[in-house]
Amino acid sequence: MDGALSRTMTMNVRDDVHPIARGLYCPSQRSWFNPIPMAKAESTQAAARSWLRREQRAGTKAARPVLMWHVLGSIAAIGQAFAAASVLTAAFTGSLLDARALAAFGALAVLRAVFSYLTERAAFAAGAAARRRLRTDALSRLLQAGPALLRGRHSGDLATIVVDKIEALDGLFSRYVPAATFAVAGPSIVLLAVLYADPRAALVLLGCGLLVPVGMAIAGIGAAAASRNQFLAMARLQARFLDRVRGIATIVLYGRAEDEAASLGRAAAELRVRTMRVLRVAFLSSVVLDLSAALATVLLAIHYFGLLQQSGDVDVLWPALAVLLLTPEFFAPLRTFSAAYQDRLHATGAAESLVDLPPLPEPAPAREIRNVAAQGMTVAFDNVRLTWDTSRGPALDGLSFRVSAGETLVLAGPSGSGKSSVIEILLGFIHPDSGRATINGADITDLVPQALSRLTAWIGQRPVLFSGSIRDNILFARPEATTDEVIAAATAARLDGFIAGLPAGLDTKIGEGGYGLSGGQAQRIAIARAYLKNAPLLLLDEPTAHLDPATEQEVLDSLRRLALGRTVILASHSSAAHGFGGRRLDMRDGKAVSARGAA
Amino acid sequence: MGGPLFRIMGLWGRQTGWLLAGLGVSLAALAAGVGLMAVSGLAVGAALLASGLAIPALLRALGMARVVLRYSERLVTHGAMFRALADIRVWFFSRLARSSAGGLGFRQAGDVLARLVGDIDALDGLYLRILLPLASAVLLLPVLVLLLGHSSPGLATEIGALFAAAAFVLPWLAARASGRAGTGLAVEAGALRVAALDALTGLREVRAFAAEGRMLAAVQGKEAALLAAQQAMAGRTALAGAASFLCAQIAVLAVLIDAGASPAASIAAAFLVLAAFEAVGGLTRAGALAGHASAAARRVLEAADAPVPVPDPADPAAMPVAAGLSFEGVEFRWLPDRPMVFESLTLEIPQGARVALLGPSGSGKSTLAALALKVVAPRSGHVLLGGVDIATLPAALVRARIGWLGQATHLFDDTIRENLLLADPDADEPALWAALDAARVGEMVRALPDGMDTWVGEGGTRFSGGQGRRLALARALLSPAPILILDEPCAGLDAETERAFLETLNETAPGRTVILITHRLTGVERLDRIFRLSGGKAVAAAG
Repeated sequence: MDGALSRTMTMNVRDDVHPIARGLYCPSQRSWFNPIPMAKAESTQAAARSWLRREQRAGTKAARPVLMWHVLGSIAAIGQAFAAASVLTAAFTGSLLDARALAAFGALAVLRAVFSYLTERAAFAAGAAARRRLRTDALSRLLQAGPALLRGRHSGDLATIVVDKIEALDGLFSRYVPAATFAVAGPSIVLLAVLYADPRAALVLLGCGLLVPVGMAIAGIGAAAASRNQFLAMARLQARFLDRVRGIATIVLYGRAEDEAASLGRAAAELRVRTMRVLRVAFLSSVVLDLSAALATVLLAIHYFGLLQQSGDVDVLWPALAVLLLTPEFFAPLRTFSAAYQDRLHATGAAESLVDLPPLPEPAPAREIRNVAAQGMTVAFDNVRLTWDTSRGPALDGLSFRVSAGETLVLAGPSGSGKSSVIEILLGFIHPDSGRATINGADITDLVPQALSRLTAWIGQRPVLFSGSIRDNILFARPEATTDEVIAAATAARLDGFIAGLPAGLDTKIGEGGYGLSGGQAQRIAIARAYLKNAPLLLLDEPTAHLDPATEQEVLDSLRRLALGRTVILASHSSAAHGFGGRRLDMRDGKAVSARGAA
Repeated sequence: MGGPLFRIMGLWGRQTGWLLAGLGVSLAALAAGVGLMAVSGLAVGAALLASGLAIPALLRALGMARVVLRYSERLVTHGAMFRALADIRVWFFSRLARSSAGGLGFRQAGDVLARLVGDIDALDGLYLRILLPLASAVLLLPVLVLLLGHSSPGLATEIGALFAAAAFVLPWLAARASGRAGTGLAVEAGALRVAALDALTGLREVRAFAAEGRMLAAVQGKEAALLAAQQAMAGRTALAGAASFLCAQIAVLAVLIDAGASPAASIAAAFLVLAAFEAVGGLTRAGALAGHASAAARRVLEAADAPVPVPDPADPAAMPVAAGLSFEGVEFRWLPDRPMVFESLTLEIPQGARVALLGPSGSGKSTLAALALKVVAPRSGHVLLGGVDIATLPAALVRARIGWLGQATHLFDDTIRENLLLADPDADEPALWAALDAARVGEMVRALPDGMDTWVGEGGTRFSGGQGRRLALARALLSPAPILILDEPCAGLDAETERAFLETLNETAPGRTVILITHRLTGVERLDRIFRLSGGKAVAAAG
């Protein structure tokens, strides 16, 4: 809630909005001009900018092959222009067909085709390598940050970052970065060739070429503005449309479909009018590029026209043709760069999501526990305090208890009393603010996650079933287990009857696009996982909260069998679970209020 | 392949004028560009022959025209594009609304809809990036052949054929390849998404079973498959691009070989050919884009053409005054090959009663809401509203009597006020506050700096789950509907928030019929009757 409020405040400070974006921002507007895309915290935007700069530098190195093929292509193009000029000059002077120049032109054409193909391949490779690296990095960070992430964010949004946002970065590395480098290198190479053909023409080209950045600076907009505006406008239109389509059932059931369709049309029209007003100015920057290219062509053509007409000198023909043929080559890299700007905008949005991801933690020195299996597991909490959110008060407020090896402890109490926090500390999802939580005397915060995982089996409210077969889902607990072991675990979890009735038995696909499972069946798969894992400490967090009473009893029976011979901590506010057996610890407001043996 | 795209273009009918204007300016700008290049070649040749005195003036005019026309082209075509894509969205929204309540939105996950919206977005480039370049090529071909044919008919034919190959054949091949690859790419991308969702939805499981390395490897494996498919596709497009480039080069070579016959004309021809092929060089890429757009258009049309699930009666009965709801011998299943949800459901909910419907998942609790809202129709039996069969009533009027708050209830990315007004556009300020207070969020909203004008964020993400549910409840309470259906209103809320929400519910909506659909009761609900759904029937339970 704190976060939501502070974001709301930021949104109202209009100064943090980009000046161009402000032109589209209208707080009194009832619809369309949703300020949220621009309301990201200033710090996120700054971090995204510096992230982009860093990645662009890294990308420039990776784009060297692309640049190389580009440069070779440019050199071949120069050769072709010279060869074509030679052929045409020879035709004019009435001499024989210049076969050598003609052959050179043809050979260079083939080379250029090959170079262009290789450029595309290299560009794809640069984009793919960057995506591979960034996706692994993003997913590693999410996996390391672990379950605590799911408290504030939806897993679907996180998956969007890993899949779509990373895909959106492709253009930055495969197109924008190479184009940005080549925008200087390409014209320079062509300029050298023109310098060789006709130094005065080189001056004209240089002057017109310099007009591009100077003109854009004077216009005060830059080629960026047009793209950014169009991009923002489109992004907002698409976001708004997606939002309306996602909620279409709500709209239809309130009988407002026609009104919404009409307002959608009105709003799109409004957006168009506003955007076009900005684009009218912003497109002037493209005019600079068009103008300088046209100006160079017109000036040079008229210059050579006059020169040739006055002198009638055929010697001027070759440089004239070469220069005029090279003029488009001079401006082509600038056009490509201007077109690739869209790719950078796509990347900016993605960068803002990526810099928001949690950083990879420092690997902490950790100890292993010895002699665990031999003597069983003893768990102890000593004056443990934990606060999730200061406004809500402490979740655990000096909690102490001890569970001996082989014992069952039932944590009872209303929700919010801190039961789940106990389980999450024991799973290593979170660390206590103060106090000690120990397993066989070793502080949990000192254990490496892998060691902790080996000791514990956990069953939560709703197990996550992965896409794949039932076998895959049980094997998740221990991938190296044999089929016999999987069948034994499934049988122990009372899944055997259910599996026998399935079309493909253990290999029936479940999850997305597969066979649907009821809550009770899903929970049995979680129990089978726990059997297969066979860990000495069993942590059960409201395992029957989402089941109807009849299924709850069946699942509790299975859990009771699983509990035999293990140390068990069961958190539940269900009265049925309190007949589970073992010692009971009543909790309220993060403290133990009473402890007694249950029947 | 072009079928779906033509139908999409048919939807632009209202904007024909603008689209044609854009096309006209675009072609004029192209003519000025190609003309400038050709005349600059002509200038050099003509100068030596001491002719063409008008050439400098022509060059200046063409240069000016080029700059002005390019600017106009950008403005007009972008304006036209905005108009066209607005029309497509309005059309799609209206079509989806006809059938949406039944299939999409009510039952299916939001990501199916999100993918469809992505498909619509893919159609945005249709006019600017595919249609305009293609039209330019269609115009350029005869011009090119006519201009060249003037001096050398043989050369004109040859170059015309090369131009057709570069501008039409190769792009068509690229479109076909991308259309085919599109299916494979979509499959690989889907697999990557599922692997990522598995790893992230299961973060607790992954940590508890120390499966981080395995999950990362699984995602990397799917990514490698996607990249390989993309690489193959990119390779084919690059090949088509290189082939198109070679066509241009062969054409120039043909002009050069022929240069001896008429040198001055050849110079102009070489420049003309270079400029013309340059103008269509991007068409192979446009072709690849068209392949994707065509597949997207097919999916969009499929969704838009879905049949209306429950057509309204031709001759509707009069709306009843009473607001009791009853089911008489209702038999229903979602699809012919699925098991029956209800065999013979009979259930009576009197006006003003507060009723709970219990049952495990899959027992048809939400189907009951869908039947009452005329989202689906029973196979046999009747659903009665105030004693009148709803099959004889228009869906819009039935829905006006029933407020619905379900798991799929959506908070729009808009202000709190706009979200509330959806239920009753004419509600005044006191009515809005009364609804917020009844849902116990009035205080929270008053404390916000912008009050009711605060944006709720995408899907209500600016507020906690409990607050979001209460805002949705306030909206449902604002609607004057005498019946409220609350379908698992607490799904996804933690138990404490759930309790507080249900306690709020006890004190709101006095006098309305309240139907609470849930898998279990928490004990705080105050109810008149409790029914348990099982085996396709409703059984009265103790309460």
